[in-house]
Amino acid sequence: MRIYEELFIIKPDASDEEVDAFVEQLRTQLTTAGATVDKVDKWGKRRLAYKVDKYREGNYVLFQFTAGPEIVHEFERRLRVADLVLKFITVRIDETLKRLDKRKKERDKRSAKRAANAGSSAPAPAAPAPLQPVTEGPAIVPGMPKES
Amino acid sequence: MPEFKGRPGSAGQRPTGGDKAVATQKKQYFRRKKVCRFCVEKIDDINYKDVKMLHAFVAERGKIVPRRISGVCAPHQRRLTDAIKKARNIALLPFAAQF
Repeated sequence: MRIYEELFIIKPDASDEEVDAFVEQLRTQLTTAGATVDKVDKWGKRRLAYKVDKYREGNYVLFQFTAGPEIVHEFERRLRVADLVLKFITVRIDETLKRLDKRKKERDKRSAKRAANAGSSAPAPAAPAPLQPVTEGPAIVPGMPKES
Repeated sequence: MPEFKGRPGSAGQRPTGGDKAVATQKKQYFRRKKVCRFCVEKIDDINYKDVKMLHAFVAERGKIVPRRISGVCAPHQRRLTDAIKKARNIALLPFAAQF
């Protein structure tokens, strides 16, 4: 199973109910296909960086789910067929997350070691370092846009 | 006895043109050493969704700012270009500025 992220743009002239219904429909489709939807995030309307099908803005929706490749294929097909969707992008993120997790752990370890060395270098260098409470947030999707 | 002497005039030799180098250095104005922002701020994740951050590395016309200008290190520049190109695909960043 892999973790994927799907960001797509819905036409701005679709009403809120339409968007909600569409998102709900996609979510149920994913779950029935055997995927687990981890997160659905609606960013709301944003200006597009360039015109897409003569639209200047779009409604961004972000899905994060765990699934196999066939499910993604089907999901992409549905997005391609749907009239509401302007654009979509699928990104596989499980390896990125793994890499980030590793980097973070290394960084924590190093900083803990440094803190321990600074604290107890003179009295007892052999003493085990006072373990710092390693706070590990879930941090499923780092780098979310902070602006509205 | 193997000798590792450089050719006459190479860097291995005595600094013959020492005063000349100083003169050229004097002519150059002072330039601040550029550092990679991602290394300094310890940003591991260069994400394509973080438009605000990516905007700093895109020129006015929408081009990716080269490393020699921005000072980003090579591994980070690689990830950065990747992120910028993804962001362009989903209309978060422009391919080219509009007029």
